[in-house]
Amino acid sequence: MTNAPAPARVRGGALLSPLALPWAVARLGFRRQFAYPQAALWGLITNTFFGVLRVAVLLALFGTRPQVAGYTAQDAITYTGLTQAFIMALSLFGWTDFMRTVHRGEVAADLLRPLNLLGFWAAQDAGRAAGQFVLRGLPMLLLFEVLWGLVWPAGALGWLQTTLSVLLAWACGFLFRFLVNCAAFWSPDAAGFGRFGWAVLGLGCGFLMPLAFFPDGVQAWLSWTPFPAMLNTVVEVWVGVQRGAAAWAALGVQAAWALGLLAVTALTLHRGLRRLEVAGG
Amino acid sequence: MASALRSAAHYLQLYGRLLGAQVRSQATYRGALVLDALGTLLITAAEFGALALVLPRFGGLGGWTLGEICLLYGLAELSFVLMDLLFGGFDAPNLSAHVRVGSFSTFLLRPVPLVVQVFGSDFALRRVARIGLAAAIFAYGVTHTAHAWTLGDAALLAGCVLGLICFFGGLFVVGGTLTFWTVDSVEAMNVLTYGGRTLISYPMGIYGEWLRKTFTYLIPAAFLSYFPVLHLLGRPLPDGLPPAAAFLSPLVGPAVLALAFAFWRVGLRRYQGTGT
Repeated sequence: MTNAPAPARVRGGALLSPLALPWAVARLGFRRQFAYPQAALWGLITNTFFGVLRVAVLLALFGTRPQVAGYTAQDAITYTGLTQAFIMALSLFGWTDFMRTVHRGEVAADLLRPLNLLGFWAAQDAGRAAGQFVLRGLPMLLLFEVLWGLVWPAGALGWLQTTLSVLLAWACGFLFRFLVNCAAFWSPDAAGFGRFGWAVLGLGCGFLMPLAFFPDGVQAWLSWTPFPAMLNTVVEVWVGVQRGAAAWAALGVQAAWALGLLAVTALTLHRGLRRLEVAGG
Repeated sequence: MASALRSAAHYLQLYGRLLGAQVRSQATYRGALVLDALGTLLITAAEFGALALVLPRFGGLGGWTLGEICLLYGLAELSFVLMDLLFGGFDAPNLSAHVRVGSFSTFLLRPVPLVVQVFGSDFALRRVARIGLAAAIFAYGVTHTAHAWTLGDAALLAGCVLGLICFFGGLFVVGGTLTFWTVDSVEAMNVLTYGGRTLISYPMGIYGEWLRKTFTYLIPAAFLSYFPVLHLLGRPLPDGLPPAAAFLSPLVGPAVLALAFAFWRVGLRRYQGTGT
């Protein structure tokens, strides 16, 4: 008990940097995504089919209007391509991996790792998200570019802001998903809770329709929730609905939500783990 | 004849018992069930709500009002949910799970017809809530279209629901049968089932020519709800099709289902179990 943990060493005997372990976990999470290429291919085909339907609905809505709520028809197509591309990377249809380890008791083994539990899952999910983006996101964007042509971020500043926005969207989304999964500490069947959470996420993050198309009251109400930070902001920064200073402000809101969610999720996990000990694991 | 009726009643009773057992087990955790039903409901409500929320800004969808779209959307959703309750056991993920763990082989050993068991193997109580929502969307469509409804129209719509249940049920049976050949990757069927449901929820005129024709002549989905609704709204059918094409729903649906069960019998002969 009094001994400090021995510093981790690699083969050469050199000290590992504190980031080496999460980096290794992330790399494994990344590589695991490439285990089932056939499933990825079918997923891509299904996503493309739904993408075609969604583009048809949006173009029919636009009709001959050149612009609606800051979006052109080409922006709307880009919006569809982006949302379809990010379904898997940002787990927009839900995520129950952590819930399962709690229900099966595997979380007890995860707690033995020399890494903070939330950090361990964050690293793993970051790797998973990157893998899915390469495997499913990039081909989807390429397909949309070939089929309809996409709008791309404007210049180096646009790319920088978009990249930051994607990273923050992942952070907010991951923390929200993890928070929902923490319900497993309190309920033997948290799947229903999850389904509820994913439905709210789908509508609130702008996956189903760009939030700018909603009535003003609904938009104002949603702006008090973290959901737009999980996808809608990325789209608006990407297509340039938000640009320059407005885009920086949008990124600031995303960052604030990420910090807020981090605090709530870490606290909930802490309380959940204490409860787990009470229950005897 | 009398004996056929008696055995039909017997199978129905068996089916009822299988459902009863599942209802009891799912009702054990009442709180979880309510939350699950709400979540399932919310997914559809969000999808439809997103469309309903943006329509005022655009005025309509390809010349269709919200009420008119509700007819299409409600028909597709109502039929699909009813079908899902009935045919859930044939859905590829469920059936392939039975094939993989070997419980499908147990089905074959029991003195109850296989089809009755599969029909009674996945009754998800949480889906019941979705029926109410689908019916409400459909009812909104009926009351918000400029159309004087007659008894004949009601019969036509009932025929649509029946046809759609058979049609999507047939797709589920085909997807389930495919799991006898390959335990994984029957996801291609999802494009036809869930994709087909989404496709026919909107006026098919908004799609490209090739997509609309594929889902009219290759996969006869357009006959099941789009053509009947076009007819009810007094709009001409595409491709110069005669008005009679709007009345084929109760024929096309069961025909698809019959073909699907023929395929099911071929698959069953091939089924050898996974050795589990």
